[in-house]
Amino acid sequence: MDPVSWLLALGSFTVFFLLVVHLLLSLVLIIPTWRICTRAGFSGALSLFHLVPVIGSFIVMGMLAFSTWPAGEAAPGR
Amino acid sequence: MFGVEIAALTGLFGLTGAFALIGTVLAGWMAWRIVEKAGLPGWTGLGAILVTLTGIGTIVPLILLWIFAFMRWPRDEPAASAGGGFNSYRGGPAPAPGTAPAALAGPSAALPDARGWRLSGPLGNGGTVSLAIGGTSGTYVLTGASTGAPTDLVVPDPSVGQPHARLMLSGHRLGLEDLGSAGGTFIDGARLLPEHGPRDISAVRSVRLGSVELALTRA
Repeated sequence: MDPVSWLLALGSFTVFFLLVVHLLLSLVLIIPTWRICTRAGFSGALSLFHLVPVIGSFIVMGMLAFSTWPAGEAAPGR
Repeated sequence: MFGVEIAALTGLFGLTGAFALIGTVLAGWMAWRIVEKAGLPGWTGLGAILVTLTGIGTIVPLILLWIFAFMRWPRDEPAASAGGGFNSYRGGPAPAPGTAPAALAGPSAALPDARGWRLSGPLGNGGTVSLAIGGTSGTYVLTGASTGAPTDLVVPDPSVGQPHARLMLSGHRLGLEDLGSAGGTFIDGARLLPEHGPRDISAVRSVRLGSVELALTRA
């Protein structure tokens, strides 16, 4: 195998490995967030924003933090 | 000279550090608001985010996230001091400005209202349904087909479960609880899930059972 092919193969493997790790880490976040979104009254699919690198978690948190929960919120001061 | 300083300030380390700081503050603020909406003290959410700055790393916040997702939220606990066991309902879309002024909110609890309740609206087959609920206490079952029980309130529509939801009268307040219906129960357009328990619907305008929209009025 010539060096260029070897480097391409190594690069492809690295990208694949990083993708799998990202998916697994996202899954650890998506499962509880799916439940939180459902309990708040949103679609659980909102938690799939965790798949977006870097800003995905902020999008989900922003939605939960700054919108009115369709399923109701605790009264202030409870 | 000045350019060099700016370059140093916006260097890779400074820039990523600034982003990390902004991200942490933002995440802490949002976590505070989220746990407050669930009925927990806001500082617990902020604390969970700040833990990431310590040597414990991210595993503890991750565990706390799972605990928060699956724990019982104080929001879903019956309000002990409210009487009647209903949670006050604050969900639903915000009213459009000018259409629902705050001054026209529900009547004060200090003014007893002896009138009953009425749920009425059109059915999918072109007919209408009108259900009157009187008295000051009792439990009724909203169902698509009668079982013969005197507490059945029948909404004859295929989208309404059998049973679908439970209505509870307590004093001058009316509560609603979803019984896991497939068609879903909605309060002013907001989904009510079985795990929410009974919700006070005394001040709401409409209840949807499956595809049947019922207006809630005082009879």
